Amino acid sequence: MIVADLNEIKAMIEAALPGAGVEVIDETGGGDHLRANVRASQFEGLSRIDQHRLVRKAVAERFEDGSIHALSIKTEVP
Amino acid sequence: MAANPELKQKVEEAIRENPVLLFMKGTPDMPRCGFSMRVVAVLEQLGIEYGAIDVLPLLAPLRDVTGEISDWQTFPQLYVNGELVGGCDIVEEMFASGELAGMVGVEQSADAELPETERIVPGGPQQSPPLQID
Repeated sequence: MIVADLNEIKAMIEAALPGAGVEVIDETGGGDHLRANVRASQFEGLSRIDQHRLVRKAVAERFEDGSIHALSIKTEVP
Repeated sequence: MAANPELKQKVEEAIRENPVLLFMKGTPDMPRCGFSMRVVAVLEQLGIEYGAIDVLPLLAPLRDVTGEISDWQTFPQLYVNGELVGGCDIVEEMFASGELAGMVGVEQSADAELPETERIVPGGPQQSPPLQID
């Protein structure tokens, strides 16, 4: 089973959202249920779902290759 | 993969015809995933009627369909009045803030607490017939 690398996920989100505060946590310890807490000015004015879409787009590859099974997202505007 | 056009049509129809529609893994009586279970619990707490579609029998094709319709490919997905509200995180946040109750036209006390999810009391959902690709 391919397991997502937390640091890589964090880096991918940071790359897509320069300046964002990003925290990626493994919720279960099993590597497949992750949580990303992202705080970014790029979220300003966007609906929650569009904020989530931005984060998901950043890590789309990891969704596609199956290494992320579930990603909980919490977004914030600074 | 391109979405199956017939399935896409059925999904669009379901979204149109149900003011509140949940695409979930399993059924409201028997959710097969923790996130789906939590969304069901929120809807039950609101006490509203909703349609529920079990995506498991057609998981990959449905991901393609919702990918095209809403640019969203994971489940659960909650649609209200024809629009994707989001998955479990967003639903819970909006429930806690009172926004979700507002969207579906329900009165809610100022500080809504997330429902306990140990016991799900059915009553409200109309099980939409299973989607089929002929």
